[in-house]
Amino acid sequence: MTIADGLKAAALLFVAAIIQVSIFTQVDILHGVPQLVLVALVAVSLLRGAVAGATAGFFAGLVVDTATLGTLGMTSLVLTVSGYCIGRYGETTGRDRAHAPFLSVAVVTVLYSFGVLLVHFMLGERAPAGDVARSVLPTMVLNLILTAPAYALVRRLLRPRERADYATEVQLLG
Amino acid sequence: MAPPNRSARVAVLGSSLQRSKPNPSPSKQRSAMVRRAVLAILVVVALGLLTISFRSPTSGVLHDAQGYGASALRPFQVAAERVARPFRDAYGYVSSLTTAKSELKKYKQMARDYRAEALRNAAAVQQNGELQKLMNFESGPRYPQDYRAVNTAVVSFPSGPFAQQLEIDAGRNQGLRYNTPVVSADGLVGRVTQLAPNTSVVTLLTDPESAVPARDLKTKVSGLIRHGQGGTLTLDRVPKTAIVNKGDWIVTRGTIERRYPDEYPYGIPIGRVISVGTSDIASFLTVQVQPLAQLGSLDAVAALIPTKRARSHP
Repeated sequence: MTIADGLKAAALLFVAAIIQVSIFTQVDILHGVPQLVLVALVAVSLLRGAVAGATAGFFAGLVVDTATLGTLGMTSLVLTVSGYCIGRYGETTGRDRAHAPFLSVAVVTVLYSFGVLLVHFMLGERAPAGDVARSVLPTMVLNLILTAPAYALVRRLLRPRERADYATEVQLLG
Repeated sequence: MAPPNRSARVAVLGSSLQRSKPNPSPSKQRSAMVRRAVLAILVVVALGLLTISFRSPTSGVLHDAQGYGASALRPFQVAAERVARPFRDAYGYVSSLTTAKSELKKYKQMARDYRAEALRNAAAVQQNGELQKLMNFESGPRYPQDYRAVNTAVVSFPSGPFAQQLEIDAGRNQGLRYNTPVVSADGLVGRVTQLAPNTSVVTLLTDPESAVPARDLKTKVSGLIRHGQGGTLTLDRVPKTAIVNKGDWIVTRGTIERRYPDEYPYGIPIGRVISVGTSDIASFLTVQVQPLAQLGSLDAVAALIPTKRARSHP
């Protein structure tokens, strides 16, 4: 990942985080809230791999926690792990698959929701599992609606990597 | 010798030669190590931040840095909110049109009732003032005359099942302190629980941790306003022998004991009773209250700063 790519990704996630905390948190459809920052993170992770995904997740979480005066590190922790996992998926199984962004967003929405729930629970804070379970499906649908335009925009900004740039732990025979 | 229909490729795949275990090259091993090291470092840093932030949520270097960071991000949030406002207003306009006709009839009736009530109240207030003068009645700060309102915009809104809070565009520099009451034009919203130089976080009445001493304006019954089901509130700790009627107004109770001063002055409207229930096994009445403030769609609120030193009620 070049410095220019890093700056583009940082700017993109910063804007996504600001839009998330200022605008999208007001949108509540059937208990679902669209998570633009998560969708943008998935796009960056799929296009730039695990290290970039984890780093991007960390800084996106830091911006969200700072902007909302929340517990610092909470969102960063969950987004770091999410970015890493999606990045690994993009480097290996999910490469060149058209459905990869949608599948990733669907899975990471569930993981993120329950990840945040788990952190709240471990900190001894209120952890309403029922409310989270109720909101997961509508949130996932809203995130999937955002995926196509967000992924197209990120793909336009961050050119997909060449095949040689991918990790090659999985060796192809023949 | 291989049969004629057998290709060389099949012959190779089908051979019984033992393959050596593929050895990843040193560069690949290094790449995997770097990747895992980056993840480990970021997770450790996040856990460190989480620990420090959780242990000292209202003070410390990290909290101050977060406050300055929030102040730096505030212009971006305000800009984003302003860009979105026309769309939100347009949606609100269209949505309100669908219910406008039915609501007009209801509000006309309510306006007639309130006009009659306001006349009675005006007479009672005048009489109350005269009686207080006669009795040299001492009282604590009164709402709203003993408070200065810091009017401010809401820059971030409650979201999801965890956050029953909102962020406002005023902080320590504007005179806000921890537990400063925050109201909207309709009624009580909550209190300040996180403070930064130019922003602060308000915990809403609907937060599970929130508890506000309140009383029924008509029957003088006291209780504790807690969160309820579906965005409503509950007037808790009301004895079964007490009388609370549907439609009664609930306001803040204020300080009644000098040793335990209340954060909220007497008389801030909270909501209206929408149902009263009881059961044989319950110790208290179940009083459901509809909050007056539209907690999910606030654009602006006012933080109440006392203009004189608080005195306790007699």
